[in-house]
Amino acid sequence: MKNHTRRSLLRGTSVALGLPFLASCRQSSIATAAPLSNSTSTKPPLRAAFIYFPNGVWEKSWIPENTGPDYTLSPTLQPLAEVRQHTLVLTGLDKKHSHGGDGHYAKTANFLTGMPVAKTTGKNISSGGISIDQLIAQYTSQFTPLPSLELGTEPVISGIDSNVGYTRLYGSHISWQSPSRPVAREINPRLVYERLFSRRLAGQTAKAAEFQNLLDFVLEDASQLRGKLGRDDQFKLDEYLDSVRAVERRIEFASKPRPAGWEPGSPAETQPPAPGIPADFREHITLMLDLLVLAFRTDSTRVASMMFANDVSGRNFSFVDGVTGSHHELSHHENNAAKISQYEAINRWHVAQFAQLLKKLRDIPEGDGSLLDHCMILFGSSISDGNRHDPDNLPILLGGSGGGSIPVGQHIASKGHTPLCNLYTSILDRMQVPVEQFGDSTGRLL
Amino acid sequence: MSRGRGCTQANRYRTATIAFLAIGLACSLFVATGGSLAADELEAKVARWKSDYDSRVLPIIRERCLPCHNGEKAEGELNLARFSTGDKAWEAADAWERVARRIRLNEMPPQGSPGLNDQQKGAFQRWVDNRPNQDLCRQLASEDTQSWYRGYVMSRRLTRIEYRNAIRDLLGITPSASELPPEDGAGGEGFDTVGDSLFTSTIHLEAWLVLADQLIDRALPEDSAGKPVPNATLSEIAPPAAWPQIQGGTPDQQTAAAIELIRQFARRAWRRPPESSEIDRLTRLFQTSLQQTTLTNALRQPLKAILVSPHFLFVVETEPNETGIFPLTPHQLATRLALFLWSSIPDEQLLSVADSGMLVDENEYRNQISRMLADPKSAALGENFGLQWLGLRNFENIRPDPQLFPEFTAELASDLREEAVQMVTSVFRDNRPLSDLLSSDVVIVNGRLAAHYGLPLPPAADWQKIAVTDGRRGGVATLGAVLTAASYPRRTSPVLRGRWLLDELLGNPVPPPPPGVPPLEQATPENAHLTLRQRLEAHRLKPECAACHDRMDPLGFGLENFDPIGRWREQDGELPIDAAGKLPSGEQFSGPAELKSILLSRQHDFLNHLSRKLLGFALGRELNKFDACIVETAVKRLHKEGLQSRVLIEEIACSYPFRNRYYKKSEPTPPPPESRSTRLFNALRKFAEKSEAVRKQNEAAKQPVTPPQP
Repeated sequence: MKNHTRRSLLRGTSVALGLPFLASCRQSSIATAAPLSNSTSTKPPLRAAFIYFPNGVWEKSWIPENTGPDYTLSPTLQPLAEVRQHTLVLTGLDKKHSHGGDGHYAKTANFLTGMPVAKTTGKNISSGGISIDQLIAQYTSQFTPLPSLELGTEPVISGIDSNVGYTRLYGSHISWQSPSRPVAREINPRLVYERLFSRRLAGQTAKAAEFQNLLDFVLEDASQLRGKLGRDDQFKLDEYLDSVRAVERRIEFASKPRPAGWEPGSPAETQPPAPGIPADFREHITLMLDLLVLAFRTDSTRVASMMFANDVSGRNFSFVDGVTGSHHELSHHENNAAKISQYEAINRWHVAQFAQLLKKLRDIPEGDGSLLDHCMILFGSSISDGNRHDPDNLPILLGGSGGGSIPVGQHIASKGHTPLCNLYTSILDRMQVPVEQFGDSTGRLL
Repeated sequence: MSRGRGCTQANRYRTATIAFLAIGLACSLFVATGGSLAADELEAKVARWKSDYDSRVLPIIRERCLPCHNGEKAEGELNLARFSTGDKAWEAADAWERVARRIRLNEMPPQGSPGLNDQQKGAFQRWVDNRPNQDLCRQLASEDTQSWYRGYVMSRRLTRIEYRNAIRDLLGITPSASELPPEDGAGGEGFDTVGDSLFTSTIHLEAWLVLADQLIDRALPEDSAGKPVPNATLSEIAPPAAWPQIQGGTPDQQTAAAIELIRQFARRAWRRPPESSEIDRLTRLFQTSLQQTTLTNALRQPLKAILVSPHFLFVVETEPNETGIFPLTPHQLATRLALFLWSSIPDEQLLSVADSGMLVDENEYRNQISRMLADPKSAALGENFGLQWLGLRNFENIRPDPQLFPEFTAELASDLREEAVQMVTSVFRDNRPLSDLLSSDVVIVNGRLAAHYGLPLPPAADWQKIAVTDGRRGGVATLGAVLTAASYPRRTSPVLRGRWLLDELLGNPVPPPPPGVPPLEQATPENAHLTLRQRLEAHRLKPECAACHDRMDPLGFGLENFDPIGRWREQDGELPIDAAGKLPSGEQFSGPAELKSILLSRQHDFLNHLSRKLLGFALGRELNKFDACIVETAVKRLHKEGLQSRVLIEEIACSYPFRNRYYKKSEPTPPPPESRSTRLFNALRKFAEKSEAVRKQNEAAKQPVTPPQP
């Protein structure tokens, strides 16, 4: 059957759909390349998450005074006390392509691409490259029902910033499937849960067959239509085609038995979150992070990104003791002591959420250790001091030892302008993504 | 229309072939240009304008502007040093309007820098006013007219709101916010209708698929006898005779009636008559399904397919395979019109007019515009255009401090948003003067909002118009939603509010503070006793700050009588409110009523800006120099016809770029790389596998890292 043949062909390719956009990373040609992990291995696989928080930090309270394993936790990093042996504190990292442009958009859209952001209010939107999470997904998606997970808490920022000449959507996207294609985020915890456990798409066999017929039908519509369009319009339709294929693949994945070998945790005992978006931001964050844990524990995906909030977020943080104001407003502290102490308290609240996440991952046994031992959770912001909007000396934490391959439990201060992307190449190595170079990387940090 | 613009051109293509059309268009262009200025006359004027620049304007710029506006890091990102000759000044003709306005309002050069004397001002203004006019109204940006032109995306997916409204109109069911695909970002002039900034991710497709499945099941349930029973909206889409035949006819009748249902549903959803090959495929889907499932469920399949098809989800404007500018087909035009006025798809009546070819008739086109504006669906102009223009799209995310403002409940927030929607909607639906948006004696409120504003209305009162006379309310600047959105969670911000008025209302954006400028509200031991107003005033003494803050702050202070959630106040804590302001132009005012008079005196800026915004929304792209003519014409006609909102809608809907499209023939690109990247991927994989042995060796040689202690 014609349809069937085409689908079989697609099955093998969806993983590699993003490859033509690899302009920002050079494929490895040396022996650092690792084989793609074998799904029949009995060892738990590695997972990677990239968590962003907006508006930078007060550096003086963030950066620990000394380095190495015996470093002293800085005031802002106090919440890490219980998980410090699982955490790497990284300072002195820089994003060289973010030194120009405006204070936010040119820094956030490329947080995970490390390439220059195009200054535009809409035409030729570009984050410069594929983001690290999406690159990893190209290699790990074959083993999991979801290629990747993109989480947020707020809708995409509407409008353009005519003052600085950027579309505000740059401030809402860190995951880019290609330089010109941001990946939409899910902000509703209930929908994340339903996506993870296929309630909506592949719950029943009869429905799955129906859906597959529908998708076959519209794929043909789209292919015919594509031929009648101009070039730019074809690109827009390609996004649709790729999405149809991704859903097809997903439905097929659900219909197949999981390969023998490593057995992930079961979601059985987990209650779905209530519908809708929680009114309390703290609850929203907790739910989203719990879902991230659940996704990794059940091996629903091996890579995820999450934005605590959009860039320039003016969220009111008066729920934190000692804070009476909003995030972006206080990040412009103007060296005013009263504002700085509030800004610092907001930073500390963020670190505490990260520490909570690490504790949850640590408390889940997996293989010879814990789920956290098989994770690399990056946590950071795209600028250092919110008052200056500098993209150097970025606040970056890495939780989880990546299967014992990362020297956690210390503070590493890099010198000069060490690219943040040097950390990304180290993470890519461990995720067995064969690249020699990524973004503006000049080598390996770890 | 008297000026021979816009709609009249349409009559031509009722009988014309495409080839004929191209010639026809070329002719009309020629005639239009010939009508305004002969080519050599224009050339002479341009030459004079350029030489005036060299002799009269350039010396002023060198003396007064270049000290700041020079080089790549120029103030306000305006580098005037680029315009070193008349030729270069001509190329940037659009920029001079902005420069002239700032000079006219005494905003530039900023206080503290030497200004232009009256003679210099006069010379500059005369030169700008004498700019020879090109006739741009009947042109589109294309590769012939703009060398940088790269084409713009018009084939785009439906936005979240358009999708919701289209489903509502097709099935009579409105999907809830949490069922819909995620929110959209914006591009172009700041709207989500811009194809360049609309992306499709997997979660969009999942939402579309699940919704099509669930909603068709709901719209076409099965009765106890196993027969399909359409809901009211769906039953109207197929001809009346079809349903009894589907439910109880012979197999042949049943198939024929099902095909008719499929045809009509596809026609409505896809906004055009479906091709017979498309009907055949949909029918096959029905018939194949019929062998595997019940009649009702089989009938649902093609309907679901129609709603997941790109023909529904994408606004597709296919064109003849030639490069050039072509008019939209009647069906494409009907879709653009429905998306513009309703943020939805055409209804049966508009589609019938398109089917008959009558939509190209000027009177019929205008009739449709009037009918559509009167329809309740035109509330989309308020909800979709209005909220995006006013920067209120994400209003539900604005959360004033709950401890300071426990009154700010979810219900109040929703009322504030609704008030903004209704205000914009009523101006367009009731053909009110656009100046009502700046200042009006009427507000639209319900009981809860009236209580919030201190207006006399029983608490349970429904939405209604009530008259206000004190000038405190009325107009978008004093909308509670706007005042709240341009405040911080715990206090007001005259700077944010002033910026909002300049940027969103008058189209006069303020550049971000240049690097190295001292912070605005720095509190030091010496100035700790100062009020916010006094500290802002101190800040403005510095010329580099004054340039912007002299414009923003006074306007914002005019709104200080409104607290951070938009309530009226006479005092802020202990201190009485001082809502007085003085603008760089010397104008003085105090309080919202006088502020609105100032806004009304700048009505021209407002009309220009609003027209640009609405045109950008309607076209779904960034405007270019050819669009300036549409705006100019619309504003002129608005002034002549009492600022009636209908004028602006008509000028946009009848405009050349709204009804035509530039199409660039291109070699079809191969579909998203499959085989090529598969090969690459496999090669990569093989290579990786081969190198495993090497890797293991390396691994073994490395110093092992101690795993963390649990």
